[in-house]
Amino acid sequence: MLADLRFEHAESVVVARLAGDVDMSNAREVGAALDRTLTNDKLALVLDLSEVDYFDSAGIHLIFDLRERLRVRGVKLCLVVPEGSSARASLQLAGVLRTIDVDETLDAALGSVAQN
Amino acid sequence: MPARSPEASFGASGLTPGRGQVILGAGGAAPAAAAPAQMADIYRLGDPALAELALEPLLDELLVRVVDILRVDTSAILLHDADTDELVARAAKGLEEEVERGVRIPVGRGFAGRIAAGRVPIHILDVDHAEVLNPILREKHVRSMLGVPLIAEGELLGVLHVGSLTTRTFTDQDAIVLQLAATRVAPAVQRARLLEALQREHSAGIALQRSLLPERLPIVVGVPVAARYLPSRDEVGGDWYDVLALNRGMVGIAIGDVAGHGVRAAALMAELRSAMRAYAVDGQPPAAVLERVDRLVREAGALRMATAGYALYDPETSCLRYATAGHPPPMLVPAEGEPRLLPVEIAPPLGTVPYAAYAEQQFRLEGGDTFLFYTDGLIERRGESLDVGFARLCAAAGGVHGAEALCRTLTRELVPREGGADDIAMVALHCEPVPERLALMLPARPETLADVRRGLRRWLRAAGATDDDVAVITLAVGEACANAVEHAYSPTPAVYAVEAFEEAGTVTIAVRDSGRWRRPRGENRGRGLTIMENAMDDVDVSQTAEGTEIVLSKRLATGA
Repeated sequence: MLADLRFEHAESVVVARLAGDVDMSNAREVGAALDRTLTNDKLALVLDLSEVDYFDSAGIHLIFDLRERLRVRGVKLCLVVPEGSSARASLQLAGVLRTIDVDETLDAALGSVAQN
Repeated sequence: MPARSPEASFGASGLTPGRGQVILGAGGAAPAAAAPAQMADIYRLGDPALAELALEPLLDELLVRVVDILRVDTSAILLHDADTDELVARAAKGLEEEVERGVRIPVGRGFAGRIAAGRVPIHILDVDHAEVLNPILREKHVRSMLGVPLIAEGELLGVLHVGSLTTRTFTDQDAIVLQLAATRVAPAVQRARLLEALQREHSAGIALQRSLLPERLPIVVGVPVAARYLPSRDEVGGDWYDVLALNRGMVGIAIGDVAGHGVRAAALMAELRSAMRAYAVDGQPPAAVLERVDRLVREAGALRMATAGYALYDPETSCLRYATAGHPPPMLVPAEGEPRLLPVEIAPPLGTVPYAAYAEQQFRLEGGDTFLFYTDGLIERRGESLDVGFARLCAAAGGVHGAEALCRTLTRELVPREGGADDIAMVALHCEPVPERLALMLPARPETLADVRRGLRRWLRAAGATDDDVAVITLAVGEACANAVEHAYSPTPAVYAVEAFEEAGTVTIAVRDSGRWRRPRGENRGRGLTIMENAMDDVDVSQTAEGTEIVLSKRLATGA
């Protein structure tokens, strides 16, 4: 299995921890799995990319795509992308890190969910 | 019909004969009452050669002789099925349909059923006027019948009966001959049935065991693995091996041996193998896998001992970690030099002591090295010290390179053709040397992208790249390959090629496909190109008649 995805459900928030590799062979199914877990009573999805080993443009596309779909449903997407992580390097190299909000830690992400 | 009243026999047998049935010789006449001519015949039935036969030919031969001796037209043997308390037609002469249709007679009913229930010979003068359950007897126009029970060591094995198409009064003499035939043959039948049951268990066990072992090993590019399971010559064992393709390109190999034999050992083996698999897939390192399985075995209160080993190999770093639980030490066949046993921490078998702790050993495989796990069946010989077995193993492995070659050689050199006294499992993992120039050719499918990354990371590490460089270059090459996969189209199955070389501290990687370069469409591909450009010092995209070539290069950072 290239990537693993594990979920934790809080009252109005779903925390999804992604680990392993994301490329064009599995980005679509990862996106679909994230979609499926979000029931209508959820206000936010926190996607933790700390444990991701490989994250290329297919993964970046997945994030933008997911963010747009969630926006339509009124669900906020928060990303945990720590300094020094593979996902961070990919976002940086693709020149998109400035265009999206990311948090350093899961706690910080949960904090920014609470602020809304 | 013999002039005796059925009632006369009740006391001896406790059996009420059915309508038209007469119980014969209930007192058990002595064999000496047989006429001399028949005595010779009886010895023909006791022919020791019969005992050598398997059950089917034995019964066939017995029936032929009985028909001949008693000058009857039919003969049949029904064997007792203890599970259902029925008699099942097993062999017949002149009544073959009885076997073909699998006639079953409940003990206590009909002709054969009453013989079995009362364990007495019964004679029927006229089938048409007697209680007979089996319709075939009437269909075949059997007129008169004589049957006796087959008993060995007090156990009812079945019923032997003969029939005549003409009305015939079977005498006490006939009953004695038939009873003798039954007596002589019963132990052979018993032995054959026992053997048959054992063989059934054996083959069921072998089938079970085979179904529990991997049907095919996972293919991990650049990490050849091979394995063997060799059943023992006469018993089902509890040995197993496993190979797992894990996250991050890691490869896990497992070995194990449940003490004892038989289906139970094989079943416990299956449980342990699954448990190890579950913990390994969850990403646990070797010592932790063994500790968890150990707790599981103790918790389950398994009454059998099991030994096991688990190794985790990282192809990127060539680092191998392993731990064993009371298992023989693994062997290393180095690219150069003599094979040797690897050190293991002395640790108890699984589930034998409370809170067992397992320690890991770790080392780096060099290109060309082969690592082997095996079970004790490969080394042990009766009346010989283990050291002799270990020495024989190392000697047999000398100069053998590669996982498959090692398994093949050890099987040929150390395992008797008919199987060993114990079953044997072995699993080998080979570390391929890192080539100076990387050259990969892959089908243009998304699943192959991970293979390229693994091969490339390993090559980059060998070329002295830092962790950061490995990650960044792998990402850029990944984008180039994704582009090749996405845009490859060709009338024949499309492929793409990745080549890499290092020169004066700069790595150059070329990715070629058979499709045409398309202007980046949408943000996705555009980002891919941006990543390549930002990650590498130089990116060159060119068109050729055959397709697109992307050449990426980067000067490696120094000081890992």
